[in-house]
Amino acid sequence: MSAIIVDNISKKFRIPHEKKNTLFQNIVGLVKRQFDYEEFWALKDVSFEVKKGEALGIIGRNGSGKSTLLKILAKVLYSDSGSVALNGKVASFLELGVGFQNELTARENVYIYSSILGLSRRQVDRIYDDIFDFAELKKFETMKLKNFSSGMYLRLAFSTAVHATPDTLLIDEVFAVGDEAFQKKCRDKMNQFKADGKTIVFVSHDLNTVKELCQRSILLNEGRIVTMGDTEKVINNYLALLQRK
Amino acid sequence: MWPYRELIRTLTLADLKNRYQNTSLGFLWSLLSPLLLAGVLYFVFRHLFGSEQNFAINLLVGIMAWRFFVNGTTSSLYSIVGKPSLVTKVYIPRQILVLSTALTSLISSLLEFVVLLPILFVLLGHLPVTVLLFPLIHLIYFWFIFGAGLLLSAFYVYFRDLNQIWDVLANILFFCSPIVYPLSVVPANLMPYYLLNPVTQFIGMYRDVMVAGDLPSLYSVVVVIGFAIAAYLVGSFAFSKLQRRFAEEM
Repeated sequence: MSAIIVDNISKKFRIPHEKKNTLFQNIVGLVKRQFDYEEFWALKDVSFEVKKGEALGIIGRNGSGKSTLLKILAKVLYSDSGSVALNGKVASFLELGVGFQNELTARENVYIYSSILGLSRRQVDRIYDDIFDFAELKKFETMKLKNFSSGMYLRLAFSTAVHATPDTLLIDEVFAVGDEAFQKKCRDKMNQFKADGKTIVFVSHDLNTVKELCQRSILLNEGRIVTMGDTEKVINNYLALLQRK
Repeated sequence: MWPYRELIRTLTLADLKNRYQNTSLGFLWSLLSPLLLAGVLYFVFRHLFGSEQNFAINLLVGIMAWRFFVNGTTSSLYSIVGKPSLVTKVYIPRQILVLSTALTSLISSLLEFVVLLPILFVLLGHLPVTVLLFPLIHLIYFWFIFGAGLLLSAFYVYFRDLNQIWDVLANILFFCSPIVYPLSVVPANLMPYYLLNPVTQFIGMYRDVMVAGDLPSLYSVVVVIGFAIAAYLVGSFAFSKLQRRFAEEM
């Protein structure tokens, strides 16, 4: 069974020569007949499938369309053509701590972030202690987030995110932050997700982690799929591509 | 949006907390400002219209009703642009951001009206039974404001001067609504157009049920429900079209 089916999607961005984002500028632009913007295809005719329980890596140079693709899977962006089908509960980690508010306490923020990830209050109640134990922040649950150090902030966000048991995880580089100990914790957790049979789509520049986590990968270049298949082979293609430039 | 009811709840509560907790007097301030405004307007306009029956009470009710509209639409306008990470970094139905903001305004407004009741009682000497219709009117009003909020918030993503434009429009609308003056000063030939202003209709209904003790006219009921449905349909249609490119425009 497929967790994700991507069928022939393309995405075009408009890059205006002069950014017009007020009504006034738009009216002036209309009068002066300036509609000029350039079209830029961030993705072109991309198709692939991810099976349930599979971990798929997406690699490519900066600007190759990796993040755009992940954002379309996450339903943050919409493709201009083609279709995306997702089965099961999807959680996207394009950034850690989405919706965190500095003026609120750690406790309140955990509830907000969890509800963004689609959990009900009762579900959060059940995992609440685990979240704080894992983040090692039990003492600080009533402290306002603005008084957290960046490391504490990150741990709290990560811990909340990983306890929100989705079926499919879309991960964009977010775990490449923090110190060595934190990164190890992240890697362990990802491996555990994989062992639990979760579907993972993983965008990264860290080829070693991709190799370790994903059997299969996609190499994107200028919005198109160059190679798809065994991670080892795809990484070799990627390195060759980098050499050529 | 039902699966996200928990998110709506938490966002609304967080919004309320942010609104009130961060000022030392919190909720008290938000009550004081309409009362002070009413006081100022009373002293300015009482020489003109002070002889009108229940001028002070009608002024208060009018201001409370107006505040719900202006606070609700203005805060909704910022609800998408003000929460960029919830738009560009994660998927949630984006109407939720507008809904929770509108709900925050609804709760604030309800609290203001609750405080208004004892004042009404003191000034009138009694409370009309028709006050019981208040929740119904408020609900229709809320739906109207939510619809307008959807429209404003979606367009604000693309046109970042809409907040200034809306400020001006709201000011015009304030003086096109019978808040500081009675309906009787409106020229008869303009009256049919004047009554098309939904805020006028809502204010009239509040005054009917809270001050005069009358049932609102069938005409006004039809007009406000029509406005609420129209605002919601237009708002959610435009929103659903425009939201597709929100993440690119933020």
